Amino acid sequence: MALNVLVVDDSAVMRAIVIKTLHLSGVALGQIYEAKDGEQALRVLDENWVDLALIDINMPVLDGMDLIERVRQNPETSDLSIIVVSTESSETRIEKVQRRGVAFVHKPFTPETLRQAILRATGVIDDRSDSKSPVSGSGYDF
Amino acid sequence: MTDQIAKALYRAAAMTFEELGFMFPSSDLDPLQKYATPDALGYVDFEGPRTGRLVVRMCGGVLPVLAANMMGELEPPDQRLQRDALGEIANIICGNLLPALAGPKEVFQLRTPGALAPGEPLFPDPDMKPAAEVQVGLEEGRADLLLYLTEPLE
Repeated sequence: MALNVLVVDDSAVMRAIVIKTLHLSGVALGQIYEAKDGEQALRVLDENWVDLALIDINMPVLDGMDLIERVRQNPETSDLSIIVVSTESSETRIEKVQRRGVAFVHKPFTPETLRQAILRATGVIDDRSDSKSPVSGSGYDF
Repeated sequence: MTDQIAKALYRAAAMTFEELGFMFPSSDLDPLQKYATPDALGYVDFEGPRTGRLVVRMCGGVLPVLAANMMGELEPPDQRLQRDALGEIANIICGNLLPALAGPKEVFQLRTPGALAPGEPLFPDPDMKPAAEVQVGLEEGRADLLLYLTEPLE
């Protein structure tokens, strides 16, 4: 199954890094959408079918936490698979993110880290099942 | 304490350059790396249990190659994107360093990264000395990492 992915980050470089890493991860990809803030992300979600969102926390206009709140409140998007991709290192804040039912990938990250996070967040079966996971996420068995 | 912070700073920087920039960092600088001239300065300010700034000084023309590697491009991106890449580098290194300053549970606020012009003070208080400083050899240049804190380390 090819995943339609939305990448949300205010840095054009970081969006490019995430997209490059997505391609290197070996995950089957469909359409890739980009948004530079939460408001733009909501418009993309309103107009397109998206399977997975990779979201930064610190963004202008509407930040990542508020975006996740809005996505979860909307019946059309409440089940969207979300991975927060952030430099955040505080265990307190990471736990807060995970309580909202999203996975977390810490920057910097490798293609394999991202792959494992995506497979767990979306429930897609990995045919390379011998790999180990360095990621963390709510409700997952790490 | 300063030694521990310097080691944590080097580890965070080396991991970031390796995983995001596909560059192999070295702590033993060769003469070319050691005497490379500075050509770009980025920084990120942070607040929380400790307040300060991390400055990343790129030397020897490494930044264009690093930015291209980060973005998966063959050619270096324009100057604006190179500055954006340097800001992201500063942001990521700082995010990975902060637990070493105050423990893994403490919460910090990182500000939007910025760039410094040549000759501009590295820290608002120009008399302040860095609390920790490390150099990372990268290809034919290097990155200098300077950590400034408003309060001295014990």
